[in-house]
Amino acid sequence: MVEAGTSEKGDVKVTIEPANEREIVIKSKLERIYGNAIRNTVEELTSGITAKIVVEDMGALDWVLRARMESALRKFRGEEQ
Amino acid sequence: MKLRRTRLYVPGNNPHLVENVGIYGADCLILDLEDSVPLPQKFDARILVKYSLQNVDFGRSEKWVRINSLDTPFWEKDLREVLPYADVINLPKVESYEDLERVSGVMEEIEKENGIDERKIVPIIETLRGLVNARKIAEHPRVLGMAWGGEDLTAELGIPKKKALILEHVRAEIVIAAKAAGKMAFDTVYGAIHDLEGLYKYAQHARYMGFDGVGVLHPNQVEVVHRAFMPEEKEIEDARKIVEAAEQAMREGKGVITVNGRMVDKPVVERAKKILAFAEVE
Repeated sequence: MVEAGTSEKGDVKVTIEPANEREIVIKSKLERIYGNAIRNTVEELTSGITAKIVVEDMGALDWVLRARMESALRKFRGEEQ
Repeated sequence: MKLRRTRLYVPGNNPHLVENVGIYGADCLILDLEDSVPLPQKFDARILVKYSLQNVDFGRSEKWVRINSLDTPFWEKDLREVLPYADVINLPKVESYEDLERVSGVMEEIEKENGIDERKIVPIIETLRGLVNARKIAEHPRVLGMAWGGEDLTAELGIPKKKALILEHVRAEIVIAAKAAGKMAFDTVYGAIHDLEGLYKYAQHARYMGFDGVGVLHPNQVEVVHRAFMPEEKEIEDARKIVEAAEQAMREGKGVITVNGRMVDKPVVERAKKILAFAEVE
């Protein structure tokens, strides 16, 4: 399992773990308003990846989500830190 | 003249702080990948900083990134991630001209790959060895200006930083090294973030030492430092007279500039221009 981001205000924590099926879990206090937007971004960035992707949003803007997703995906692909 | 009176540090792995930092009017922002980022967060931080440079409105502030020092495995990765989007690279713990050559070589590669202009470096002198080599370091063509930090240096000497008399000499040496090479000089931060009166005195002291700016750790410090770098009215008035006289001499093709019957040399004209730049920016 890999992790990126933090649980601080304005941030988002992304975890990706190997799984037999693709699964995306979004947790956000603002899920009703931003849930779809977050899900769309995550879907777009992870298409073709079979893994469990959990996104815990703390009010992050889209660029923050994209940055944290890139971190998590690069770690998941085994990039040296 | 580009003013760099304040350079506001912001931790590179904190999106909440990063996205709001443009509103404070600092001349420069330092997105920090070094001391404010814990080791396990280095990877995330450099990616976050890359995205912030491309997405956040930093207002009129110049975008600097403080990368990790050459004695870590991170500096080159930091550069490859952020250089295309940063204005200036702030490089800690520089000890020699060769250190800059090493970094400059990698920067050149990245600049070519990305088809971007040459970026500048502000080295931070933090050790006795760095201080001894400061004059040579300042001459490197990539150097925009010289900064310094006293923590390692006073630790090397085994003395407490707050009581270290030698730091006045260090300050002077940084200014001399930078200015002799035609570069800017940047004083270090004032750590007591709530003591704004002390900060004002500190920044004025920096200005009269010959520094172009100081580091700031809190947005509240920005306005105070800008005020401290504002020349006094008498300085401004004298500077205006000198610059007007220089312009008049130029128009009339005269080689000698006189103000109130006294001859004025070129460095005096340059100083006057700098004073007006500091005065008229706001």
